[in-house]
Amino acid sequence: MIIENTKLAFKALVGSKLRTVLSLLGIVIGVASVVTILTLGQSIQTNITDSISSAGPDLITFSPFDSGEEADIFTEEYSTFMASLDDRIETVMAMDNSSTTVRVGQESESANVYGVPSTYDDNLALTFASGEFFALSDSITSRQVVVLGTNVAEELFPTGNAVGNTVMLNRNGQGKSYTVVGVLEDKDAIFSLNFDDSVFIPYSTYQARLNNSPNVGSYIIKVADENYTLDVSDNVEAYYDDLIGEDYFRIMSPTTMAEMATSVTSTLSSFLAAIAAISLLVGGIGIMNIMLVSVSERTKEIGIRKALGAAPAVIRGQFICESLVITLIGGVIGVLIGLAASYGFSVSMGTSFVISTFSIVISMGFSMIIGLFFGWYPALKASQLDPIDALNYE
Amino acid sequence: MEKNNTKTIIKIDHASRFYTVGDITVKALNDVSLEIKEGEFTSIMGPSGSGKSTLMNLIGCLDSPSDGNIYIDDQPTFNMDETELAFLRNSKVGFIFQQFNLLSKLTALENVTTPLLYAGIKKKERVERAKAALEKVGLGDRIYHRPNEMSGGQKQRVAIARAIVTNPSIILADEPTGALDSTTGEQIMELFWQLHSEGRTIIFVTHDRNLGYQCLRQVHIKDGHLEDEK
Repeated sequence: MIIENTKLAFKALVGSKLRTVLSLLGIVIGVASVVTILTLGQSIQTNITDSISSAGPDLITFSPFDSGEEADIFTEEYSTFMASLDDRIETVMAMDNSSTTVRVGQESESANVYGVPSTYDDNLALTFASGEFFALSDSITSRQVVVLGTNVAEELFPTGNAVGNTVMLNRNGQGKSYTVVGVLEDKDAIFSLNFDDSVFIPYSTYQARLNNSPNVGSYIIKVADENYTLDVSDNVEAYYDDLIGEDYFRIMSPTTMAEMATSVTSTLSSFLAAIAAISLLVGGIGIMNIMLVSVSERTKEIGIRKALGAAPAVIRGQFICESLVITLIGGVIGVLIGLAASYGFSVSMGTSFVISTFSIVISMGFSMIIGLFFGWYPALKASQLDPIDALNYE
Repeated sequence: MEKNNTKTIIKIDHASRFYTVGDITVKALNDVSLEIKEGEFTSIMGPSGSGKSTLMNLIGCLDSPSDGNIYIDDQPTFNMDETELAFLRNSKVGFIFQQFNLLSKLTALENVTTPLLYAGIKKKERVERAKAALEKVGLGDRIYHRPNEMSGGQKQRVAIARAIVTNPSIILADEPTGALDSTTGEQIMELFWQLHSEGRTIIFVTHDRNLGYQCLRQVHIKDGHLEDEK
């Protein structure tokens, strides 16, 4: 019966091609937009996760605010204590930063200057275009050495001979000369930390030359394994909530940011998908309309079928099958278009393309439900036609 | 005439059919009793508005009586619901209409298999039986034609094949030659005589006296009552 009904449905649909195409269109557009939105959402989430894992998923940045209570406790030495807050913390690095101008002769370039420990390059997995990071001895003796980000180096040393040369770092109108020991390769930014436009000097030098207070700008907490990041971040946050209050520090990590971004994109894409689902609903109403027209046009056929012994349930089945076939075909076409469109978007946005099985299943399922729901009433109407009236209908 | 021990196929027992339109009740059929036995070739005659169509609808299980009862092959149709009536129609009645009433998008073969589909018969058997029925009405070579590719006589033959394919107890023909020219009409009548000779029960509804009196038994209906048989 189901096979026969499906054949009949195809016959009826092929019989009125334009009408079929128009009613298909509603479902196709609905399904295609749901699939596109959910697939794009999934792709963006995957991209966020990927970019996080390249941006130091094992790092947490903790920044106390100067105005905070007990702000005075946040000194370089305090990092040792902070490392003991959780035994999954591998190391804590004190650092500070401010903006400055870097000058060579008449050429000058604005940049962020970071005071960091000598282990900084290892912990952040920095790589060098030339030279190397400054050594522990440079830190201990507060030497005036500097590592340049790739953009800064290119601007000031277009010929590429930066290492060994000196640059002037300005502070309050006074310039001090620093010897370039290394130039970084380009690297993706981690939040506001844009490596390419920054320069790095020993923390002790920064404290001695550029900073007026002993207070640390921020601490970078490196955990032993990236899986601990969220947990450790929560623990540290809880500790300082108690100690100084939540308004007096900021804590963030690529991983927590990723979680936030993921939840934002997933909320957003669910919301957009819900809007797209409304278009699916509208498509369903279109199908109901078409099916009602079809039932009244085929009154005679229904009468004949009833005379030949088709029970009401059989007639109902025939028409429901028809609307299911429409939504099924519309669903398949919609999924294909949706995947093609999101592939196109992914390519043009330069993100990777991830097929979301969930979106295919849910949009196909939803369109079938719509076929059932909006096909039901016309089918019921068809099945309830009086056989005698239907037979005599012209 | 008919033998007394022949089985009664249709027993109409004081059946009435009323229609209520607004405040007015129309008695389309009023206290009608009639028995038709197996193998009879009966015509039901009467002018339009006589209740002929109502009687035909009741015999054809398209409708059930408001009062009294009708037994089709011993099954009472009083108070039957749509599904039960559909089942009875499918198994007991073969319809032949004036306007053929073929399904226009289906081939002759598909038209003839349709009642078997509703009877739940498997595809292979459906096709075999439908082909045999089409052979019998002389259309063995046109089974893949659609109604619009056939003449009126051919269409009516398809309809007859469709009516006999389920081996029904009754063949109910409503003015079957009404839309055909006289020559074709005679050929179709011959087919009915052939079916009669095979022992089928045929009820022939017509307003055409010449045709009606060709049948072996005549039932006259007027104003919702049966007139005495002649």
